[in-house]
Amino acid sequence: MVTKKASPIFASKEDSNFREALKLYDAKQYKKALKLVEGNLKKHSHHAESLALKGCITFHIGAKQDAEPYILKAVEKEPTNYLVNHLAGLYYRSVEDYHKAAKWLKAANDNGSPNKPILRDLSFMQSQIRDYKNLKESRQLYLEHQPGYRANWTGLAVAQHLNKEYHAAVSTLDKIENIIKEHLTDADMYEQSECVLYKHQILSEAGDYERALKALENDKDSIKDMLSYMEYKAKYLLLLGQKKEASLIYRELLKRNPDNISYYPLLETALDTTSKPEELRLKLYEKLGRYYPRSDPPKFIPLTFLSSEGDLFAKKARDYIIPQLLRGVPATFVNVKPLYLNPKKSQVIEEIVLDFYQHDLPKLENPTVAVWTEYFLAQHYLYKNDLDSADKHIDLALEHTPTLVELYIVKARIIKHRGDYVKASEVMDEGRKLDLQDRFINSKTTKYLLRANKVNEAIDCISLFTKLDEDAINGCKDLHTMQVSWVLVESAEAYTRLYHEYQAKLNELRNCEAEENEELTQELLENIETYRGLALKRFTSIVKLYKIFYNDQYDFHSYCMRRGTPRDYIDTLRWEDKIHSTPIYTRALKGLSELYFELYSESLNDNEESSQEVKIKKTNKKQKKAKAQMNKKKTEFIARVESEKEDADPLGAKLLHDLQNSDVIEALFELFKSLIEEGKDLELTWKVLFKVYLIQGKYVLALQAVKNLNKVLNPYGEKKLREIGSRVVELATTSKNDDKANAAIVKVVEKGLHSAFPEFEQLSTDEFLELYNQ
Amino acid sequence: MGITIRQATISDIQAMQNANLHNLPENYQLKYYMYHILSWPQASFVATTYDDIVGVNDTEVDIATHSDPKGDTSYVRKGEKIVGYVLGKMEDDPEAEDKTPHGHITSLSVMRTYRRMGIAEKLMKQSLYAMCEVFGAQYVSLHVRKSNRAALHLYRDSLNFEIKSIEKSYYQDGEDAYAMRLELDLEKLVPSKIKEEQEQDDLTKDLLDDL
Ligand SMILES: CC(C)(COP(=O)(O)OP(=O)(O)OC[C@H]1O[C@@H](n2cnc3c(N)ncnc32)[C@H](O)[C@@H]1OP(=O)(O)O)[C@@H](O)C(=O)NCCC(=O)NCCS
Repeated sequence: MVTKKASPIFASKEDSNFREALKLYDAKQYKKALKLVEGNLKKHSHHAESLALKGCITFHIGAKQDAEPYILKAVEKEPTNYLVNHLAGLYYRSVEDYHKAAKWLKAANDNGSPNKPILRDLSFMQSQIRDYKNLKESRQLYLEHQPGYRANWTGLAVAQHLNKEYHAAVSTLDKIENIIKEHLTDADMYEQSECVLYKHQILSEAGDYERALKALENDKDSIKDMLSYMEYKAKYLLLLGQKKEASLIYRELLKRNPDNISYYPLLETALDTTSKPEELRLKLYEKLGRYYPRSDPPKFIPLTFLSSEGDLFAKKARDYIIPQLLRGVPATFVNVKPLYLNPKKSQVIEEIVLDFYQHDLPKLENPTVAVWTEYFLAQHYLYKNDLDSADKHIDLALEHTPTLVELYIVKARIIKHRGDYVKASEVMDEGRKLDLQDRFINSKTTKYLLRANKVNEAIDCISLFTKLDEDAINGCKDLHTMQVSWVLVESAEAYTRLYHEYQAKLNELRNCEAEENEELTQELLENIETYRGLALKRFTSIVKLYKIFYNDQYDFHSYCMRRGTPRDYIDTLRWEDKIHSTPIYTRALKGLSELYFELYSESLNDNEESSQEVKIKKTNKKQKKAKAQMNKKKTEFIARVESEKEDADPLGAKLLHDLQNSDVIEALFELFKSLIEEGKDLELTWKVLFKVYLIQGKYVLALQAVKNLNKVLNPYGEKKLREIGSRVVELATTSKNDDKANAAIVKVVEKGLHSAFPEFEQLSTDEFLELYNQ
Repeated sequence: MGITIRQATISDIQAMQNANLHNLPENYQLKYYMYHILSWPQASFVATTYDDIVGVNDTEVDIATHSDPKGDTSYVRKGEKIVGYVLGKMEDDPEAEDKTPHGHITSLSVMRTYRRMGIAEKLMKQSLYAMCEVFGAQYVSLHVRKSNRAALHLYRDSLNFEIKSIEKSYYQDGEDAYAMRLELDLEKLVPSKIKEEQEQDDLTKDLLDDL
């Protein structure tokens, strides 16, 4: 709610109108509010408060793009009017521009607004934009206003924690704990437990394990989450060198969850066995295996440390694999696959399974064991890229049990490795038809259809499991709503391959035929345009999706304080801070960067030969009828690819057009900006940014990028990589040949290259490239 | 196998959503997973394959050359990928008839290539134990498609759930659901406890003593 101060410059009639309008606005009676505001503005067209409110109302019921000018005018007129500030803040919050929202809400408070809940809203904005310094102040002020709620204390502690003021945070938590101690009801006990554990998380982050351990024991009675309690305690003990005690806690933890592999190495650290002879370690695991016979880690871990040379490994590997084959565990191969990092172990495993295959299988009565063994061997040979052997085994298995879906999955993968994507998708589809109820095999088939560039069929396939809106042809819109990111990114890549294919055909046509076949050219051009637009559209949908993922945290800045889950809230902030380095996002950015660079080189060529666009519009009479038919087909096509209801740009044509008419490289930089921090460990980040900076003539940044790339690819600094060498030379040459470049900068870059890559100074370019060829 | 069962964290939710989308027709937006983790952080678990430990333990393995993580959402970080999950919650509907604290399984699934090796059962046991211990859940309820043999076997035969009722046309496509329920008793739920007589770590002897 926006509170109105008495305004001396405003005639009382208008003033009461405005007050009324505010009330109506708060009650979402926008039309009525608008009427009053407009009445006011008729008399005082520059009245700031009314302008601001009109802006807010317009956002809700008018054309959204008309709203901001009112806000801007209002804050220009009266930048220190807290009411105007507040309304501006609310407006920017509605459009999810949290930076501006924070700015104006802060101004409202600084300019004397008596409305304290502004501070709470402000703290959400500041959390969202990671302005932790000011966040602390607003949480503090709001707590002073409302000290009766634990949530407000938790909020302040979180803000202090985020500012790394560990002791202040702990003392805030201690204070409220003491105040509230006597008044806790049953319903409060979960929050109590979480807040106590939060305190420990902070203490441990501050490195004060001794104090943390003591406090943990004191607080034991109020802790409900015994898993965290034990995990914290074991960790403190280990870090404080009390290994014996630590080992006991890890043993207790194993009783709770013997399937958590991470406890085992910690237990070993506590027992000091990691550097003991492998025989002793093995005995330890055999004992643990007797305690936890259904758990995998005690059986699996020895396979990782036993030497590939000794008999022990072979024996234990056999004990591990053969019973799984006998039980028909489909995952037997993937279970041992991690061991294949060591090629000698993969060799031993091959011998074990082949020996079983040749000598034991023929004696067995249960024929399904043979099928699972063939299935294992097929995957084994596929891993080794021996596709003929892989085929042999999978075919034998299929011959025996043609109804087993798993076999089709592996068969299709083998075919995929041979490069026949269409055939692979057909085989996967055969498997799918054997179990129409299972979505997993449906998803696999969808993926293989996409790899075969059959996008329409793929979407039809997955649509068997999506929601169908009324009169929708397929589930494409639902895939967007339900955030099926893997399909979106695979579709984008399929569309990319498709337009590349059409481009190749077009080039071929232009090269080999003297007379241009106009009709065919026309068709190819249209296909290129359509699929390229769609590729851009689908990649961009991923970028949009991650904006949603980032904004999703917004409600939790308030919710978690009330719910009392500050530990996981802190994790959430940290996770969101790295969300742009997660797999699908970076994959989409990779695709986008390739597309953007392509558009960039085309824009360079366009200046020479004048282009496709002229031709695409030229039609003669004969073609008119064909065109009409095409249009009908096109409408149908559009209905299939729409990403939302009434998609204004279903084919991404506008997206593509806008991009072509803007600075593509700058746009690409904007996309990659978030990766400078979040993706600094990724090769992709520095490869793309290097190229971007080079094109933009930002040579110092390009120097930094190639150095960063080297750090990523070559963390120990011992390698001379071709990818680095060629970039060093490219940067040196480009900057030297650029007559527009500032000479001093070129010098700086040269010096920088020499100090980072001394051989570049000592050797000739050719010698340097020869050296950097790993 | 290098399969691990551990509590789910916020960094797992994209991969959980991905697994859900691969295995089941009932799907949720990411924010709903956030809501689960940030309301009942202890109630959800994931099964992951975990091959880092091989690199750590096996001195014969080279330090791998750098490569960016694969563009595959099942990876929560390099070397760890999610193959199954259980998403659990406490009943929080203020309109709910029954006010005794009880849990609910929102979703459970395992990637097909990892099925039939006990992963779902282990995930469920961890979740049930946590709901009971941390949130005081007295029972847990869930819905399952009438035709879902695997799930029915898991709930009824492996975990001893009871069928409470049949809910007609519970699912979008019109299929009926069994409403199932299990009364919780912390003592009986200890996840490492299994039926047959077994040797137990009594926590008193030195583990290395008789090796
Ligand atoms: C249901 C599902 C989660 C089971 O996962 P899982 O890891 O294979 O299950 P488990 O290995 O723990 O099996 C538990 C029990 O169910 C049995 N079981 C598993 N799959 C079965 C099947 N297809 N038919 C019959 N029984 C089956 C197992 O034999 C085991 O019984 P046991 O204790 O008597 O040996 C898995 O099949 C799945 O993800 N399905 C698709 C999604 C789904 O249906 N989710 C459940 C929605 S309510």
